[in-house]
Amino acid sequence: MSTDPYSARVRELFCAPAHAGELDSPLRVAADDQGVRIELSAEVAAGEVRALRFLAWGCPHVIASAEAFCADFEGRPVAELLEFSASDLMQSLAVPVEKTGRILVIEDAVRSLGNTVRDASTSSD
Amino acid sequence: MAEDDQLLYLDYAASTPVDPWVAEAMSALMTADGNYANPSSTHAAGRRSVEYIGHAAGQIAGLLNTDVDRLIWTSGATESNNLAILGAARYRRERGRHLITMRTEHKAVTDPFSELQKQGFEVTWLDPEESGLLDIAKLETAMREDTQLVSVMHVNNETGVTQDIEHLGATCRERDILFHVDAAQSVGKLPIDLAAVPVDLMSMTAHKVYGPKGIGALYIADRPGVHVEPLLYGGGQQRRLRPGTLPAQQIVGFGTAAAIAQSRMTDDIKHLSKLRDRFWSGVADIPGVMTNGAIECAFPGILNISVAGIEGESLLLALEPLCVATGSACNSKSQEPSYVLRALGRSDDLAQSAIRFSFGRPTTAADVDFAIARYRKAVEQLRSIAPGRAA
Repeated sequence: MSTDPYSARVRELFCAPAHAGELDSPLRVAADDQGVRIELSAEVAAGEVRALRFLAWGCPHVIASAEAFCADFEGRPVAELLEFSASDLMQSLAVPVEKTGRILVIEDAVRSLGNTVRDASTSSD
Repeated sequence: MAEDDQLLYLDYAASTPVDPWVAEAMSALMTADGNYANPSSTHAAGRRSVEYIGHAAGQIAGLLNTDVDRLIWTSGATESNNLAILGAARYRRERGRHLITMRTEHKAVTDPFSELQKQGFEVTWLDPEESGLLDIAKLETAMREDTQLVSVMHVNNETGVTQDIEHLGATCRERDILFHVDAAQSVGKLPIDLAAVPVDLMSMTAHKVYGPKGIGALYIADRPGVHVEPLLYGGGQQRRLRPGTLPAQQIVGFGTAAAIAQSRMTDDIKHLSKLRDRFWSGVADIPGVMTNGAIECAFPGILNISVAGIEGESLLLALEPLCVATGSACNSKSQEPSYVLRALGRSDDLAQSAIRFSFGRPTTAADVDFAIARYRKAVEQLRSIAPGRAA
């Protein structure tokens, strides 16, 4: 039985968060709860998420989850942002259940980003 | 380190490696060609075990300048603290039920006091000054006619802050109040002269000073009114205060570790002071970094630092392969900030970012330099990805 609180994937993402940072884009949101703060910024074009970046203050599971989300969502339809669920992320990274609340802060941020993208798209139509 | 020889151990306040001489001395009492007999047996082999134990007791008594018959063997500091606190409070309960301790004590002290509270005792919990030290005036103010016991640790396990047990003890002695000291972090590391320092009960353990785990002792002063009720009942060993077969090999290990500690204490303190000062000078210029507890009144083997704008759990992972301790309360699920650091006035965030670096005999200057570089890099990395609140 492993005594390591972090899965190999969490360690990998935490150590090399390639999507950490900010984009020069008006599409940005923040979520702050459970002692976690997440900021997301995005570039979209033709209904597709072209680029994502995050800033995070939280535990390794939060940072790894934010990185995993950004890496996974680039290239996907913007509509999927509104359907994002943290449960898949938690399962794939083996995040312990007691950290659910923290990972849900990412879910809040992603859905907020989806709303922001949708609103921006509506106003530009 | 078996799994990864790249690990750098800087957690000597948690435990130390057994000194090779200690291991050798212990081995001689464990195998068939050694002296493994039960010291309670009256035959020759049993009597020889008693002689080994007596020799070890002499080594510890020599380290502390006391008599061998003042020592009660236990399984370690936790049991010693329990025996001292529960045992003394219960022994003196007819005289009074008021007890005093500090909020910054180890759980092995605070939990027995909490248990006594449930049993009808009244406990005054004293806060330290920002330095970590206890203001003697606060102690004097808290003392009452019915106060029976004061318990203050010598070297704080989280911060290294070292209390003035001589003055605290004298204050207690003037009022005939028992004074217990949890010396788990100081025995064998700092000079303690029990013939001169007015301590009534002192808890100690071997594994913090290059001895084996599973053995400790409680010193009980030879003074009227100083006594404890036992926690265990069984055989009549150790004047019925702590029955059970004495683990001769553990005790010999403790004794040998004590003798080694006595012979090299001055050099050890110099070595640790150099390492601690080198580390601090290597990180002190990081914006927002601070020591927890005043460094000038702390045991040099321990340095506890917090840094603003950094999440503690992430810092700990980013510090790998350093083996260090966090400021959290040993509960990875709750990630509660350390109650010790909160008592020093640290915010939750600062307490949670605390890292305890503790150095030991095997630690080198190169180890410290590596740890400095790792700490600086971890802080820089985490700050670079932190949003506005923390950056």
